Amino acid sequence: MNALETWLSIAAAAPVRVLSQTRLSGGAIQQNIALEVTRDGAPEAWVLRTDNAATLAVSHGRVEEFALLQAAHEAGVAVAEPLFCCADVSVTGAPFFVMRRVAGSAAGHAITRAAAARGGDPELAADHGRQLARIHRMRAPACLGAPPADSLAGFIAAMRARLDAAGTPRPPLEYGLRMMERRGATPLPPVVCHNDFRTGNTMQHDRRITAVLDWEFAGWGDPHEDLGWFTARCWRFGQVALEAGGIGPMDAFLAGYGAESGWQPDPARVRFWQLGATIRWAVIAADQAARHLSGREPSLELALTGHMVPELEWDVLDQAEALHGAA
Amino acid sequence: MEQPDARNLLETARALLLDSLLPALPAERRLEARMVASAMAIAARAIGAAPARPDAALAAAIRAGALDDDLSLAGQLRLVARARLAISNPRALPAAGS
Repeated sequence: MNALETWLSIAAAAPVRVLSQTRLSGGAIQQNIALEVTRDGAPEAWVLRTDNAATLAVSHGRVEEFALLQAAHEAGVAVAEPLFCCADVSVTGAPFFVMRRVAGSAAGHAITRAAAARGGDPELAADHGRQLARIHRMRAPACLGAPPADSLAGFIAAMRARLDAAGTPRPPLEYGLRMMERRGATPLPPVVCHNDFRTGNTMQHDRRITAVLDWEFAGWGDPHEDLGWFTARCWRFGQVALEAGGIGPMDAFLAGYGAESGWQPDPARVRFWQLGATIRWAVIAADQAARHLSGREPSLELALTGHMVPELEWDVLDQAEALHGAA
Repeated sequence: MEQPDARNLLETARALLLDSLLPALPAERRLEARMVASAMAIAARAIGAAPARPDAALAAAIRAGALDDDLSLAGQLRLVARARLAISNPRALPAAGS
């Protein structure tokens, strides 16, 4: 038995043998490894999730992500069942957790192409709304800290701090943030937001969501923040006419949300947070290019992500001017 | 400098990559080749472009609200943004005049 099998056997309170380990497509931050195991002699399919060498300071670590996954599972959100979590770096070299393997694919472009070929998929859009409504009534794990009094003020301050830390002045993003500051509505009570709920992060099988992925950015926020992120133009994977994530119409998505949550989101507030989403993605994309430019993590993928920023800035100007005109 | 110049070399190399090498690659490596082609296209468009001058004073003034009533601000921002977009992703440029 190797160190991993020994640890898993103690955690599972039954002998665990790892038959195979296969690297799955990982994100820029994490690695996912498919494990075929036997637990007490019976075969099971698991996924081990751990960190890549370089990680973003603004994201939660594996231990916190595991706690979020447990809270999501309890709230009835479609997620891979969380099994065991290991903070001890002596086992594999980095913290990791293990979850049950879920069927499906999260490939964004393939999903939106298929939805567009059907003329849009209102059912799948509504399913995304339902899942998001469940996320917004999750209990908050300790890692989220105390809820902010005003999540919009917190968002604007966080974006400005990241722009300052990056050191490159970006007048279009400042313009967008200032417009949000001027036009912001009365704060709503904050809820647990996923903060990266979008096409490409929802695993699907037979046109139903089987797992919501990538919880490491979760935090307190206005529920419209997640609704705006999912529907922002920059997350429609080429199918810009399908406002709900390149998958289906906005009204089906919001109706799915409303049916599950018991309250109907405000479309103007969703548009307001689409602007926030575009600004945040531009800030993240610029930071990804900075990781390449620093020399610590040379990567053509990160370098090209930086060249997405001008398109996002253009989109920010469009939306900020529309918000200005709508006042 | 000897001809062909930098832009011509990049464009010629990119055409070879996309037309000849890409179809010979296994499917799982094609995305990487497309990324290389994208980088070469951006670099070719950037040749001769005026160096970017990030405007710290403008950014600070917008943040402070000093330009809230400046009706020409959005137009100024568009001008710079359009030039940046023309290099990074000209396909996202709106039709002229919009």
